[in-house]
Amino acid sequence: MKIEIKTTNDILIITLEGSIDSQTAAEVQKTVLEASSDHKNVILELSKVGFVSSAGLRVLLMLYRQIKAKNGKVILVGVSEEISEVMSMTGFINFFEMVDTVDNALSAY
Amino acid sequence: MATQTQTITYKATLDVLEPIRELLTQTGQEVGLDKKKTYNLCLAVDEIATNVIRHGYSEAGIKDGEFNLIVAKSDNQLVVTIVDAGTPFNPLEHNVPTAEDLTIPLEERPIGGLGVLIARQSVDEFNYEFSGNRNRNIFIVNL
Repeated sequence: MKIEIKTTNDILIITLEGSIDSQTAAEVQKTVLEASSDHKNVILELSKVGFVSSAGLRVLLMLYRQIKAKNGKVILVGVSEEISEVMSMTGFINFFEMVDTVDNALSAY
Repeated sequence: MATQTQTITYKATLDVLEPIRELLTQTGQEVGLDKKKTYNLCLAVDEIATNVIRHGYSEAGIKDGEFNLIVAKSDNQLVVTIVDAGTPFNPLEHNVPTAEDLTIPLEERPIGGLGVLIARQSVDEFNYEFSGNRNRNIFIVNL
């Protein structure tokens, strides 16, 4: 799992690459939550994430809670059709804004 | 064609999840399963294999556990079975979130409970059997 973190105009952009399963989720969750702790707005770039299990959904849930508590916003970028289907099956999809590119996400703030 | 069966033994550790997904993706391609159904099969097996490794073996204090993955290909079905000797657990008797639960805002959602739901919904048929002191989680995908 590769994790890249940068900030643009005070918006945190986290780019993930790889699979988020129960083996990798703990590290992803720790890194993502720590990086987001002093930000209100977070963009999660997932276009190079090929697989997300329920362990990955839990990471999204924890991030959402942390940001929502600060009245911030999480935007997901490049979610694949397959992952989007699982988010829909579990009722996660209604709580996230999803766009195709980081530029579109940046202009949504 | 007659049913072709392959059995692979894995250590009950989470680092086998990726090789299992790779094997199932390759098998899906061999039998002409489309991308989405292949992904969903990987997902279903991943969720149950995680439970087996984590709850069936690790939390039960069983060290050096192993489980088998049986992949059976026939003309019209791909059947994947996880056979393990961990704690007996029937996912079909496990309470899964209801449609109403899935509308609860994420702030108030209980964490967890989604894995079994995802596993059961991501294949055409999901079965569980317990025999010979083994759990058998059976995933059936129609071709």
